[in-house]
Amino acid sequence: MNSITRFVHSSLTVAEMEARKIRHDSTELWTRLVQPALWLLVFGEVFTSIRGITQGNYTYIQFITPGVLAQSVLFVAIFYGITVVWERDAGLLSKLLSTPSPRSSIIVGKALAAGVRGIFQAIMIFALALIIGVNLRFDILDVMGVFITIVVFAMCFSALSMILASFLKTRDRMMGIGQAITMPLFFASNAIYPLSLMPAWLQTVSVFNPLSYGVDAVRSMILTGDYSTLPLDALVLGGFTLLFLAIASVSIRGMVE
Amino acid sequence: MTAIEVTDLTKTYPPDFTAVDKVSFKVDDGEIFGLLGPNGAGKTTAIKMIMGLTRPTSGSIRICGIDALSSASQVRQLMGYVPQAISADGDLTGYENLLIFSKLFYVQKKDRDIRIKEALAEMELTDRANDLVKHYSGGMMRRLEIGEAVVSRPRVLFLDEPSIGLDPSSKRQVWNHIMRLNKELNMTVLITTHDMAEADELCDNIAIMNQGRFVAAGTPSELKRGMGGDMVTVKLSGGAEMPLMAELGKVVHVLDDTVSILTLNGETAIPKIVGYYEQNGLHVLSMSLNRPTLDDVFLKYAKVRIEEVESYSQARQARRSFMRHAG
Repeated sequence: MNSITRFVHSSLTVAEMEARKIRHDSTELWTRLVQPALWLLVFGEVFTSIRGITQGNYTYIQFITPGVLAQSVLFVAIFYGITVVWERDAGLLSKLLSTPSPRSSIIVGKALAAGVRGIFQAIMIFALALIIGVNLRFDILDVMGVFITIVVFAMCFSALSMILASFLKTRDRMMGIGQAITMPLFFASNAIYPLSLMPAWLQTVSVFNPLSYGVDAVRSMILTGDYSTLPLDALVLGGFTLLFLAIASVSIRGMVE
Repeated sequence: MTAIEVTDLTKTYPPDFTAVDKVSFKVDDGEIFGLLGPNGAGKTTAIKMIMGLTRPTSGSIRICGIDALSSASQVRQLMGYVPQAISADGDLTGYENLLIFSKLFYVQKKDRDIRIKEALAEMELTDRANDLVKHYSGGMMRRLEIGEAVVSRPRVLFLDEPSIGLDPSSKRQVWNHIMRLNKELNMTVLITTHDMAEADELCDNIAIMNQGRFVAAGTPSELKRGMGGDMVTVKLSGGAEMPLMAELGKVVHVLDDTVSILTLNGETAIPKIVGYYEQNGLHVLSMSLNRPTLDDVFLKYAKVRIEEVESYSQARQARRSFMRHAG
């Protein structure tokens, strides 16, 4: 096996570990559906009926479905570092890092694992959106595009979470920081309202928020069909993901030192 | 051939704590080598440096002749590691744990299934292979981890406190498995322990480590012989700190009212020691005479008794680790 094959093989193995765990126990997937369901069913329905926020020809619930999807994946990913801290405490991380598999492949595998969870979230939220009658475009290529975006997006934030975990090192601190950054990321993005409604300073902030690009990409594929901003979304999201993965591959050493 | 060669290995942590201080040793191919020492002696740090998990401050490490610092991933292919905490994944089955591990070690697809079945049979886990590991007992989890070595076939296996927190019968089972890996698969084994019975039973050679340094090394019998004489243990009614006359023997250890004395000839020394204490107004409550054990060797060099080392907190930690996995 050459080094690229080995890298891919190891990354997929680490992701496979996660998939197997989900197969044994899927409770977490279901409990994680509660929050996005509330956003759609309560927040979405209410704001649709009062017509407080309108965006083009779309109802508010159409507008926020991609946002809620991205948000629920963000939540899964941003707390992913806690799993890694847990594995460190249990000695599992040391053992993974002591195998001949390259360190970066373990990190990429862990990030992919967060992507696997993200896909399950996406499927469930799509199903929910269909049941409550949200009108979305379900073109096969678009749906595949959304899944790819979700995986990259989950990798981006789970890598960020692993970077934080390698410096913070305890579950309690990770819970704290997770709580502290998810809401600001969420509110300073185009997930639940269009950027044009934000004050100028917040618009500036959202330009640096990878969440906005993820939401925009998903929205363009399943709602508007307008792909003009898709290359920029892909570039920014992909760039952040690679950057975070690279930093996490180095910083993870600090977890086992 | 030399399996492990460590030269002047040093690890310092800022500001000025030296965890491992210029440690050098060699382990021959096929040997079981024991690293003994109290908590905080630097054993785990030393293993982590050899495994490439912690970067040494200075020194060199060669595994089967290959430089472990410059060719880290090549060397990791030759090594297996069982950390102190139970590291099997409780949310996967025993079979899956071995499968994932075999893939991360790049075991060829055609060998994978055979080796996993072999490992499960060897570790007597075949009938529990498809149960989640969190439902295993502590001893079974440990065996599963040792089974990973059967799958990945390392040349050198590192076990950090392999039997800590296990009951006596599980402990013996784990020892038997370690010895079989050593004999049948010709694996060189390095274990850290502070269980002297374990070291005596398993190890061809041992080194005693204290405060980051090697303070004694040799085969268990050499070290015991090297003590030169008998151990007399005296329990007094108080005043155990009182110094002893040099010609009677050497006090190696004092714990509460019990004094351990190393003396050349125990039989003749006993009446003199009793007389000496009685003369000084101390009551001798009980006495015993023993050949030196590894425990005494350890006590002499590490200056602490094993019972004090196997601290409550560490035992509790190990137990918690099992419980966590047991969900």
